[in-house]
Amino acid sequence: MANKITLTANDGSIVEFYDEIKAQGGVKDVYFSPDKTYVVAFYRKPINANDRERITNIVGIYRQRIFDTPEGNYWKNLFAWPTKMVEWNGKTGIIMPFYDKKFFFSSGPFKGKEKEGKWFASAKLRNKFLPADQKGNWLTNLHMCIKIARAVRRLHAAGLAHSDLSYKNILVDPITGSACIIDDDSLVVPGKFPPEVIGTPDFIAPEVIETKHLALDDKQRKLPSIYTDRHALAVLIYMYLLNRHPLRGGKVNDVNDSGRDEELSMGAKALFIENPTDKSNRVKAQQLSPAELPQGDPAKMPYTICGPYLKKLFDRAFVEGLHDPSKRPSAAEWEDALVKTTDLVQPCQNPNCEAKWFVFDNTTKPKCPFCGQPYHGQLPILNFYYAPSHGKFISENYRLMVYDKQTLYKWHANNLVSPSERTSEADKKPVGDFHFFNNQWILINRNLPDIMDVTEKKPIAIGEYVPLTEGRQILLDKGQGGRLIVVQLVNN
Amino acid sequence: MRRLPVYLLLDTSGSMYGEPIEAVKNGVQTLISTLRGDPYALETAYISIITFNSVAQQVTPLTELSAFQQPQIEASGCTALGEALTLLAQKVDTEIVKTTQEVKGDWKPLVFLMTDGEPTDDLQKGLDEFKKRKFGMVVACAAGQGANTNTLKQITENVVQLDTADSATIKAFFKWVSASISTGSQKVEDTHGDVASMSELPPPPPEVNIVV
Repeated sequence: MANKITLTANDGSIVEFYDEIKAQGGVKDVYFSPDKTYVVAFYRKPINANDRERITNIVGIYRQRIFDTPEGNYWKNLFAWPTKMVEWNGKTGIIMPFYDKKFFFSSGPFKGKEKEGKWFASAKLRNKFLPADQKGNWLTNLHMCIKIARAVRRLHAAGLAHSDLSYKNILVDPITGSACIIDDDSLVVPGKFPPEVIGTPDFIAPEVIETKHLALDDKQRKLPSIYTDRHALAVLIYMYLLNRHPLRGGKVNDVNDSGRDEELSMGAKALFIENPTDKSNRVKAQQLSPAELPQGDPAKMPYTICGPYLKKLFDRAFVEGLHDPSKRPSAAEWEDALVKTTDLVQPCQNPNCEAKWFVFDNTTKPKCPFCGQPYHGQLPILNFYYAPSHGKFISENYRLMVYDKQTLYKWHANNLVSPSERTSEADKKPVGDFHFFNNQWILINRNLPDIMDVTEKKPIAIGEYVPLTEGRQILLDKGQGGRLIVVQLVNN
Repeated sequence: MRRLPVYLLLDTSGSMYGEPIEAVKNGVQTLISTLRGDPYALETAYISIITFNSVAQQVTPLTELSAFQQPQIEASGCTALGEALTLLAQKVDTEIVKTTQEVKGDWKPLVFLMTDGEPTDDLQKGLDEFKKRKFGMVVACAAGQGANTNTLKQITENVVQLDTADSATIKAFFKWVSASISTGSQKVEDTHGDVASMSELPPPPPEVNIVV
């Protein structure tokens, strides 16, 4: 057994760990505490005064602003944030919480390994190596993306850029739809603490790659920032939902040198593989290995299967904003679009479908894009309207798809409420639910005090139900921001 | 998807007999099992093993990581390092997918060479063939004091030396090789798309000395 070391941290508390390197990262060696609730990671090289100040801020004021708040406990699940600093044998170390056990494979060939996001973002790894019970489904993957977007939104709101977002620095668990951002000690504060790494291949923004040959003090040189985080976030979401890289297409930019070709394809000549007008970087599906299909072929699974809200943001990230960072969607916009997309999903009626859920394709003959199963039966679509001024309702281009035992929440009933880390326990309880009952779809009122069937002009008491028939109008909430539902029915 | 070809050139001359060759075999096994747990390597890496004693031979053709099977490795004879480099050049010509206007080819191959002695054949001939091909990172490892680091410096500027050729140090070397094959964050000052020079590698374990 290795020696137990006991140190006093910067905040005066006692820190213990065994003198045995358990893991090695790019710049740090990791040691475990005896109770395995935290790890101590020592920088192999002595750190400079600027880094020391950065880390002091990260374990201090930046941490307090995010975690010493009413929502602090929520964020603890989304970040493995450094909490203290120690010195030992002339080296500086940081204390970080041990990752939750759901972020380690519990069985199968990779038992005990961290769930690095790459496993779930690559078609080949998913199709060939990953056990089926580890993949989650398309909806839980969507939930995972919400957590990532939310965490990045919080960092950016604090003026911090992660600077190295990649599936290596975010642990994920598709089974529960969870994610945790790790390696938070390299955070960049614009104008104060410059970045140390330019990022991880696949996620580095084009302008950073394009200018990396320039001197650090050159005005044209672009380094990681909140804008480059936005590029990395968009790539992550695209990869988790579609299992391919948005810029890795068939176009060869340098015949003689694979390294140079990579640099151009990810940098100056970067082009979205699904760019609607410039088709020169389309994937050549015949060059893919069978293990990369069908996800690898955008002709079979275009990005539009992610639904209208995400399609719009992918266009901004990879068409308009690919070489124009200011046009990239913010993390908050991604979070909002992802949350709204969960309202568009339908369970696939094929019991063997791996995706299990798909986004309604807005057609009269909906079918699952992953397995091809057509939807049979009656499908209610609830269109949301709200009233900016009293009594005059306008469409929000926001819908809720209904399925059996689907639940309605307060953030559906009122457009001033949105689900976030601030959602109270009371608001996390459903206010209504949907069932297929006596050959028709119904909404049962569980906790909507002033819900009203506008079509029949009568209130619906708590515990009572209203049938969902074509054209029916239901007012969910009479207060400010209250939403009106207009029902549409697809029959197949 | 571009493949990442990795060539291991292993000295199996008589002087490697006993503990060193057993350590190399274990090292290969550990390398493969470590890489199979690494999603980056599992997605892209292809491995080939070329051994050299009195002759050079490719005991494992370039094989997808998941299909790799441990080859038979025995120690005997002399050290035909020159021939090994010639064979490597030939295999690179036939096994590596070249990039054309229509097809994205493979990444430049990575080469890890381990030897414990002086070459006993014409090194220059092999060296000439080797220099005509394009490689990514090439690391030569001098196992123990019998290997001449100056000879290896002719092959690559990345030369590491193991003080002894015992099982612990050889194991440490293979661990380091596996870490080198996985990619990580790129430092701000780095400029290459391919893994090419020593500065981009993970830190070597304490048992490996980098020769400068």
